[in-house]
Amino acid sequence: MNLPRCSLLAVAAAICSSLLYLPASAQEPSVLTVPRLAQFDSLDPQREFDQYSDQALRQLYSTLLTYAYLERPYKLEPDLLESMPALAADKVTYTFRLRKGVRFVDNPCFAGGKGRELTADDVIYTIRRYADANVNNRSFFAMEGAVVGLDAYRAATAKAGPTADLSKTDVAGLRKIDKYTFTIRLTHENPLFLYSLTMAPTAIMPVEAVQMYKDKLSVVAVGSGPFMATAPLDRNGTLHLVRNPTYYRVYPSVGAPGDAEKGLLKDAGKKLPLVDVLDMPLIEEMQPAALKFLRGELDRRELDRANFTKLVLRAPDGSLKLAAPYASQFDLRSSPGGNTVYITLNMRDPVLGKNKALRQALAAAIDPAAIINVLWNGRGIALQSLVPMDLAGSETDTAAPARKRDLAAARMLLADAGYPDGKGLPPLTMTFPTADADTRNEFDMVRAQFAAIGVQLIGTFDDVPAFTKSMDAGNFQMAYYSWYADYPDAEDFYQVLYGKNVAPGPNSGNFINAAYDRGYEASRYMVNGPRRYEIFKSLNAIIRDETPVIVARESLRVDTVQKWVGNYKRNIFTTEMQFLSVDMAMKKKGVQ
Amino acid sequence: MGAYIVRRLLQAVPTVLGVALLTFLLFDAFGADPVRTALGNHATPEAMANLRHQWGLDQSLPLQFVDFLRQIVTFDYGRSFVTGEDLGTQIKAGALVSLSVTVPPFVFGGIVNVALALFIARHRDGIVDRASRVLFIAAMSVSALVYVLALQYLLAFKLDWFPINGYEGGWAAVKYLGLPWLIQLLLLMGPDIRLYRTLFLADINADYVRTARSKGAGEARVLFRHVLPNAWIPIITQNVTTIPFLILGSFLMERFFSIPGIGNLTIAALSRGDLPILKAVTVLGALALVLFNLLNDLLYAFADPRVRLS
Repeated sequence: MNLPRCSLLAVAAAICSSLLYLPASAQEPSVLTVPRLAQFDSLDPQREFDQYSDQALRQLYSTLLTYAYLERPYKLEPDLLESMPALAADKVTYTFRLRKGVRFVDNPCFAGGKGRELTADDVIYTIRRYADANVNNRSFFAMEGAVVGLDAYRAATAKAGPTADLSKTDVAGLRKIDKYTFTIRLTHENPLFLYSLTMAPTAIMPVEAVQMYKDKLSVVAVGSGPFMATAPLDRNGTLHLVRNPTYYRVYPSVGAPGDAEKGLLKDAGKKLPLVDVLDMPLIEEMQPAALKFLRGELDRRELDRANFTKLVLRAPDGSLKLAAPYASQFDLRSSPGGNTVYITLNMRDPVLGKNKALRQALAAAIDPAAIINVLWNGRGIALQSLVPMDLAGSETDTAAPARKRDLAAARMLLADAGYPDGKGLPPLTMTFPTADADTRNEFDMVRAQFAAIGVQLIGTFDDVPAFTKSMDAGNFQMAYYSWYADYPDAEDFYQVLYGKNVAPGPNSGNFINAAYDRGYEASRYMVNGPRRYEIFKSLNAIIRDETPVIVARESLRVDTVQKWVGNYKRNIFTTEMQFLSVDMAMKKKGVQ
Repeated sequence: MGAYIVRRLLQAVPTVLGVALLTFLLFDAFGADPVRTALGNHATPEAMANLRHQWGLDQSLPLQFVDFLRQIVTFDYGRSFVTGEDLGTQIKAGALVSLSVTVPPFVFGGIVNVALALFIARHRDGIVDRASRVLFIAAMSVSALVYVLALQYLLAFKLDWFPINGYEGGWAAVKYLGLPWLIQLLLLMGPDIRLYRTLFLADINADYVRTARSKGAGEARVLFRHVLPNAWIPIITQNVTTIPFLILGSFLMERFFSIPGIGNLTIAALSRGDLPILKAVTVLGALALVLFNLLNDLLYAFADPRVRLS
């Protein structure tokens, strides 16, 4: 890569400034090493929308809002903002006030190579860039139809092409009030809009960086995040990042119940990030990652199935603990994965679509708890509604009744469906998005559970692109699906059955129910609370009755963490790196 | 010879065209929709149309095929769908890294394996031959993946002789490449030595060798002046046709040792539906195969004076 020569000076300056920032007592910089599991696509926030780019971007750039690191259910909090945005009486205009003194990192793209202050102009520039059809092809859905004038601006950019200058084109919904204040006017009342301001594609980008680096922004970062890069980043190698000395956030002083007892609040009020260097090597295979962790070369690692079986024991009460000798060497942390695994039934299928009793029989025959216990060694939570546990609106709030396997009821329903003991029912087909051993084991278990009531099951195992193609074409009977939360709101999960979201939208099973759609639309933009939860209850009842999906579980993510790492708590919506501390003296001694 | 080369190159044109057509049909016409793959759960018709236009996938299939042929002729494969980066730069960088992974064990292994095969052939049916036969057949029946997993665990993790994985540019790469080289050497030994031994044995009792011995030639002279030159042609064939695969890298080694070569680039492109990379690597692989087959034939003439290129 050919970068301007003065970038060398900036690199040197950045290294010096980061080293100068180290506490005088520090013997050596504290280094946190966490693996990346796949290459990032691009470090240009407005161009990317994949989890591995997201993981890197969140270290380098900042967003207006973020999620509280420790609190559960997940809760929005200001990041670049001084306080949460204020909603005007018209219910559609938000006023945002930026923190004063936030600076972009030093970079040759700025006058004198010195990072300048981040202002309202940068925010408005970023949102316009985010809406530019020539820049962002992946994540505009999050603001589509939400901001006055933004969709029209996007259409204009698409028509004008990438070389046209539309910087003078007005977007009526975006207004700068002063250097630190701006407003966003929405097309309708929509509290979900605020979630889009936590997404990495809306991270604030300085115009100078875009003008200087253009396409090279895929590997060059000029942000205001907790860490900064001192050289162009290699998507194939180790991302070597150093502390951003001008970073502005501090460690939280509020956590979830029990966090203080776990020592997660001992660094409250300390300036972030808590480590000097963050190394993120690319390790795509499980074995080398496991070996490096065991040797102490990685500080945190999510356990795969094979290593989980080797390292972890399940107590009779279902709790997890590390087996000897690992218990004295590492810490174990488990947390809900923020996803829902479910079987979607194709409502356009001639056998399933018109036979509610058959769908109900299949649901009654399935035993998610057994699948979790036998196949996943307890790494899952049997869900009673579509919404994962750590989200507001989950079964905790809606009191969704527990559903247990009931073979007698399943057989009765099957008879009602016209297939007593499964007689006359052709074998059903279930499509899976992968073909690995775990998937095949899961299929075998589901097949056995269906066989108990006389239903035969055939499995088809695709790769993800082929699976997606089948879903879009409606070319399936039943499919195994996992929906991951885009934002911590129950709406994100109820939308998978909304009538207007049929394929190629998330409603792959093409479920259409007027009462469900009315309930969904009524609750969509409602603030969380008893009124909204009542509507969710009615949606759950429709799902339970109509059975367009069979809800199975939420995954449990299990991490092993080195003893020298402090403050670890998985937050599925943001990054934990800036909050982690490393005891270098202990780390130097290695795994004991 | 010039006319021969030109004729062979012209004969290669339909082959390359066939590969191009198959590649195009496989990925563009019948494959999964890369736009849908890229947009995932959030694919709206507007977003899909926009991205399809940006990637040039809204043109008719014949036009897309013509564009693909232009790319093959000009060696300009455009940009990655996913990263937006120039593919020429990515492939060049990846190929150099892949060559650093595959060439040293290929060259060193070639020399060592020929020498060992000669030695074993010389002691046909002796204890060395019998033992090596058992050993190599057993070694060949074990999957390459087992070698990678076992040796990474034993030599890197347990004995700490090598880094577990990783890569750095320049001479620092040697530190990380030691174990992949060793594994590849071991993987090559069984099949190569078994093949070379068979080739040498076919000659070692031939009439002209017996004549040489009866004329008083020493064993070393018999092996190196008579047996080895006559076995060159199949050895050249086997090795030269392997060269394109050296450029394409070793998928297993690159994946397990986090080495940023063409192999890893291809796997990443497969998982992300990055069609330009997949098409470029497939066609370049086919071109390399055609060229090295031609080189193979040319080398025959040097290895065996009886071969005439006409």
